[in-house]
Amino acid sequence: MDIGYLDIVLAPWRSLRILCASCVNLVLINKKNRLFLVFALVPCLLIAQSVKPESPIQFKIKNAGITVDGMISDWEVEVDFDSKRLDQSSIRGKANPESIQTGIKLRDKHLHGREYFHIQKFPSISLESKSFKAKGKNAFVGIFELQIRDVKREVEIPFTLSQTGRQQKFKGEFVIDRLDFGLGEKSLVLSDEVRIIIEF
Amino acid sequence: MKIKKWLSRLPLWLYACMILPFLAFGLSNQGVSYFSVRDIPRIWTDEAMKDWELPNSNPAYSAQPVSEAFYYKLPERVIYKTYPVYHPDYEPEGYWEWLHEQEAEIVFDESKLVTEEDWIKAGELLFDYPIDTLGAIINTQHVRNPYFYSSTGMPLTPEGIMPFAQWVVAGKGKVYLGNLSCAMCHTRIMEDGSLLKGAQGNWPGDKAFAFALESDGVSERGVQGITNILFGSPFVEGDPHGKLLASGREFILEAYKAVPEGAFGRQGTSILYPPQAPNLIGVKDRKYLDHGGLGQHRNIEDMMRYIAMNQALDFLNFYGDYNSIGLTKERLNNGEPIFFPGTHDRHSDAQLYAIAKYVYSLTPPENPYKPSTVSERGKIIFAEQGCVTCHTPPLFTNNKLTPADGFEVPDEHFDKYDVFDISVGTDPGYTLNTRRGTGYYKVPSLLGLWYRGPFLHDASLAKLEDLFDPARLRDDYVPTGFKPHDIKTKAVKGHEFGMELNEGDRKALVAYLLTL
Repeated sequence: MDIGYLDIVLAPWRSLRILCASCVNLVLINKKNRLFLVFALVPCLLIAQSVKPESPIQFKIKNAGITVDGMISDWEVEVDFDSKRLDQSSIRGKANPESIQTGIKLRDKHLHGREYFHIQKFPSISLESKSFKAKGKNAFVGIFELQIRDVKREVEIPFTLSQTGRQQKFKGEFVIDRLDFGLGEKSLVLSDEVRIIIEF
Repeated sequence: MKIKKWLSRLPLWLYACMILPFLAFGLSNQGVSYFSVRDIPRIWTDEAMKDWELPNSNPAYSAQPVSEAFYYKLPERVIYKTYPVYHPDYEPEGYWEWLHEQEAEIVFDESKLVTEEDWIKAGELLFDYPIDTLGAIINTQHVRNPYFYSSTGMPLTPEGIMPFAQWVVAGKGKVYLGNLSCAMCHTRIMEDGSLLKGAQGNWPGDKAFAFALESDGVSERGVQGITNILFGSPFVEGDPHGKLLASGREFILEAYKAVPEGAFGRQGTSILYPPQAPNLIGVKDRKYLDHGGLGQHRNIEDMMRYIAMNQALDFLNFYGDYNSIGLTKERLNNGEPIFFPGTHDRHSDAQLYAIAKYVYSLTPPENPYKPSTVSERGKIIFAEQGCVTCHTPPLFTNNKLTPADGFEVPDEHFDKYDVFDISVGTDPGYTLNTRRGTGYYKVPSLLGLWYRGPFLHDASLAKLEDLFDPARLRDDYVPTGFKPHDIKTKAVKGHEFGMELNEGDRKALVAYLLTL
């Protein structure tokens, strides 16, 4: 099932209204400059839009040898990505750790607490791109700043982009050390490494 | 001067030889454990007692122990040789008379203890030694009455010995029934009749006490008085123990009788929320003592403090201005002795050290439940269900404290204690409504489940299987372990893990738990 994609070309009307407002005095500008402005504004058609993907952020962590599958369902992402203009592209995401689910409600509640996400104090997780590099056809690597709790760290996320017409679909996977972000403490049974899979 | 001159002429090698014995002594100290009485820590210092215990769930009523000066003024206990108590029908012929012919024999002499093994052996003797001969719970008349055993369901060894009390011979003809040894609550008679020291005991202590009160014809006022001394906590919201006292003699006695074997309303706890008798096997690795984690356990000194405090010295504690035996601070400190069981003398630090060493040395017997295909499947379920988070191998506890429903963890506790900030929703009564309540329950170790029971901190479930029975969450459930005296049914809520497992998985999980 193809769930969660971002159609960045069919931008919401709200953004177009903003664009139109910017262009209200277009007729007053001379022809040469008008042409320049049209080209200059083309990238703006790709203006970042915040969407709530249907597919949750997934994560996997080993606990006593068993892989626990978890997800964070409430999140949104803002994408302005052009594979030909990587230096001008950006991806930003924001997730609500309160929506974490691991299959055991009490465990989820514990993850909300101060030992883990401490949602009362840190109600969101954020991810913001810093730079991108192409790594082959439709494959990229992005350097992102990931903030969990009050810890900001750079993470490298390899991802793929599949484009069908004007639809873009991203899929990335990376690993973090939960201890780097103050998520729990060293444990004899719970792995430090968490694999995160993001798809939208 | 001549001697000096003579000494100066001696060869150097001779001086070296003179040093050798000292070196040998030093080296041997590293190989074999020797203890000098001088190494025994002084445990009851004002500084140490200040923050060793966790505060009460209502911090204004946290325990205030007696001072260092008061404590060390108490005389040290003399430890006499003790003798087993038999059911009258099993008593060897002439035993009673023979006991009265015996002379007192002092059996603890710290100057004779050299090796670790010596201390452990002495500790076992002290573990079994009753600190009370005033009849704190039961007395001679009770244990020499056959009806006492049948009416309380008292477990006996195959020889007919009741191992929870001892005869103390303090002199020829001075034979006293001794109560309040560690062994009283921490000895279990197994199904095969063998004794398991240090385990969750199966002494039906509250039933025995009810028998004593009834058979002695203690008045309503008397029953109320002693119950208040044991459990009174008028500073607790709603004062549940005050209500119990007001309910009258018969109801109070019923409350005692409702406490099952394997739980015991020791002083400062409750017969309304009786604590499960703790299993001491493996206690060395636990960071908190008591179900509410009242005592921190950071080293052997903490264990010694716990023993000293809990063998009745907590009767002298003040909770705000409240003291359960009716003392005022002036009376406590006026220098006059206080004659109440366990409070007029104390263990020496060496005696406490020996008991702690013994308790640390306890090991479980061989587990008859061997790993099988089924238990191996249960092991996977144990991990899948997330049990490992709290009951983390190899200790099968994460050694943390979980707040009970209704208790808000103060910010400073996160730095001071090991808090696992989630309630599993078990009955908060014990930890919110008693003198020993901290607002927390410690995460129990699952080691040795096969020889333990009843389960949960309030002993409300008789069998391990009952824990995974969804019916226990309903109000029409009849608890298989402790059931309060004044109700017919009660939901046993909380710790609702594994409730959705199918029967096969449940059996596999239980099979695994029994192998631990």
